[in-house]
Amino acid sequence: MSEALSVSSSSQHANDQRRQSVKPHKKRWRHDNWMGYLFISPWLIAFFAFTFIPIIASLVLAFTNYDVLSPTWRWVGLENFERMFTRDPRYIKSLQATFFYAFTAIPLRLIFALAVAMLLNTNRRMVAGYRAAYYAPSIVGGSVAVAVMWREIFGRNGLINAVFGTDVAWLGNPNTAIWTLILLAVWQFGSPMLIFLAGLKQIPREFYEAASIDGANGWQQFWRITLPLLTPIIFFNLVMQLISGFMVFTQAFVITGGAPLDTTLFYALYIYQRAFVSLQMGYASAMAWVLLIIIAVLTVLVFRSSSYWVFYSSQED
Amino acid sequence: MRHKFWLLLAVLTTIALVFAACAPAAPAAAPEAASQPAAGGDGKIELRIAWWGSQNRHDRTIAVIEQFEQLHPNIDIVYEFAGWGDYWTLMSTQAAGGNLADIMQQDYARLEEWVSRGLLAPLDDFVADGTLNFANVSESSLAGGRLGGKLYGVNLGTNSMTIVIDADKLAEAGLETPNPDWTFDEFERVATELHEKLGIYGFTGNLTNEQLWKNIYLSLGQWVYNEDGTGLGYEDDQPFIDYLKMVKRLQDAGVTQSREQEIAAGGSVETDLIVTGQSAMTYVWSNQIVALTSAAGEGRNFILLPMPRPAGGASANYLKPSMFFSITSQARHPKEAAMFIDFFTNNVDANKVLMAERGVPVSSEVRAALEPLLDAPQKMMFDYIASIESSVSPIPPPDAPGHADLINNVYWPLVIDPFMFGQQSAEDAVRILREEANIVLAAAAR
Repeated sequence: MSEALSVSSSSQHANDQRRQSVKPHKKRWRHDNWMGYLFISPWLIAFFAFTFIPIIASLVLAFTNYDVLSPTWRWVGLENFERMFTRDPRYIKSLQATFFYAFTAIPLRLIFALAVAMLLNTNRRMVAGYRAAYYAPSIVGGSVAVAVMWREIFGRNGLINAVFGTDVAWLGNPNTAIWTLILLAVWQFGSPMLIFLAGLKQIPREFYEAASIDGANGWQQFWRITLPLLTPIIFFNLVMQLISGFMVFTQAFVITGGAPLDTTLFYALYIYQRAFVSLQMGYASAMAWVLLIIIAVLTVLVFRSSSYWVFYSSQED
Repeated sequence: MRHKFWLLLAVLTTIALVFAACAPAAPAAAPEAASQPAAGGDGKIELRIAWWGSQNRHDRTIAVIEQFEQLHPNIDIVYEFAGWGDYWTLMSTQAAGGNLADIMQQDYARLEEWVSRGLLAPLDDFVADGTLNFANVSESSLAGGRLGGKLYGVNLGTNSMTIVIDADKLAEAGLETPNPDWTFDEFERVATELHEKLGIYGFTGNLTNEQLWKNIYLSLGQWVYNEDGTGLGYEDDQPFIDYLKMVKRLQDAGVTQSREQEIAAGGSVETDLIVTGQSAMTYVWSNQIVALTSAAGEGRNFILLPMPRPAGGASANYLKPSMFFSITSQARHPKEAAMFIDFFTNNVDANKVLMAERGVPVSSEVRAALEPLLDAPQKMMFDYIASIESSVSPIPPPDAPGHADLINNVYWPLVIDPFMFGQQSAEDAVRILREEANIVLAAAAR
């Protein structure tokens, strides 16, 4: 990076110098590099203090029984990992809840995002205004305030019960609670929508013109032109959403707290509960590392599968 | 390669400098500082206090802190407060960082865990030298703060659980006020009749709460945990099975809210349906009566009764220290901390601000001074505590170190909820409780 910077910023004068001799230039480069690291040192410090060192610490903790309050802790080997899969029914439930959520909410959100993106990919008046309006939920959607609002909407005296005249405990019923969270996730379709929209704008008009001359209807155009040309965008969105889907926390933490019957006990929420409520840092760290492995494996699978369904137009050339 | 070495050195030096700049904030070398009035540059002592509670409590406590600062201009008090759940997360994190406040509010359920980890300091020296003056405090009020013969927490108020009955609904249904020594059978009958005659909930308030489980065994002269906190302290599961079956009957008959609705509603005194007249009875801790009645508004009449007991049992109530002030072992100014706790306990003016918000004060002098100032709900609370004082069961030992883990990871998710949602029988629920409790409690006590 710093090399690129120094090249791009170098003036004609510098180029002359380079031609004259190599040695002074090398010295200069070294100096720039040094300064560069110094300038990004605030970032480096924060990275080491808040990311790198905690990551290493959690890896070590995963093999201990560290519980925050006790001054001492013990090396327990693989006990934490063994406990997860053999002696913790709640862990299995949290896996079920997370997988169910990820495999329902993510496809629904992507489908919805694509549908709205196609609606907005027209040249009607006010389309920019709609774009901003539809993107807004994603900006605020992850926030605590929206989660609190959601809880009120689905509360006993909330909007849904008032509008439909029902008296359903949406957040207390094991069959409905997770769907309120999935609905919230689908509503936050804004960022994949924007990416889809950008992708749609890349598709050349001529393809559609040619297709309609050949008599293809809208539906055929969508399946034969739009979707294949959009697969790289779908792929990107899928990977990003998959990763964030497995790390969902705020919504469940605020709206349901994992209840009822642990049907909304998402993985990250359970890690939080074990770490900061039960203070079992070792166990929670072990869970976090298993989550990393789960996400990594799923991401690799999606990447591997991409050669079968992702279509890059450049390959055709 | 040499420039890389210098680069690394520069980065490490910068990191070291930043951490060095942060270091004074982390009181790793605190112990020596305790005796010297260090801290602020102007020679002021900085005392840190932490508590949990509602906005009402925050306002009152801060006002008392200001009173204390005026009396002791050399002491500067820094305070932090939070709600119940966040408070314990905050305190645990501070404890791990060696950065605990001087005074922290403690709870009877957590006291043993914190003492067993060496995080609280014994207060007996301050009692001996008179910094903490308990001349007007009875031994029974202090007993809850003693562990292994040493005092680790000063009781800030006395509390007990109570059934709140809407007197007007009771009259409307043509029912007599039950006796204070009522049993669960009578309770079930009254709740059911209230529901059937008035068409409202007979009882709201969470009957599956672990407090009720504890009350049952307390009433039978036992305790839910064994002496060393490694397992359950009772052999006979039948009383709890009978109780769970009663709770399920009440739920299925619509006398109480379903577990579904309970979860969806969340728990807070102000949102209890008795407030809006949609329920005839509930239960609260006695200090919450003030919040409940003020939420219910003017013109309401409530009766307070002790908790119902299993047939043949003794009182299911005990006098619980509502909360404590403890001095932490990481405190920099334990002496000044003790002075503040003494002020909080004994000073009449301070207690006129606090107005028994944390429960009935332990000092008899303070109680006498507050008596004429009490409004109706506060008087109800004082009278209720006075009325049960002579008949309550003795205070049980503090909860086992594994209590919180057991409740969060076993009691609710594996025992109560599957039972209330009809996924397992009462017998299975209780069997799972016993099996898992022995594992969880033994692991925590280790």
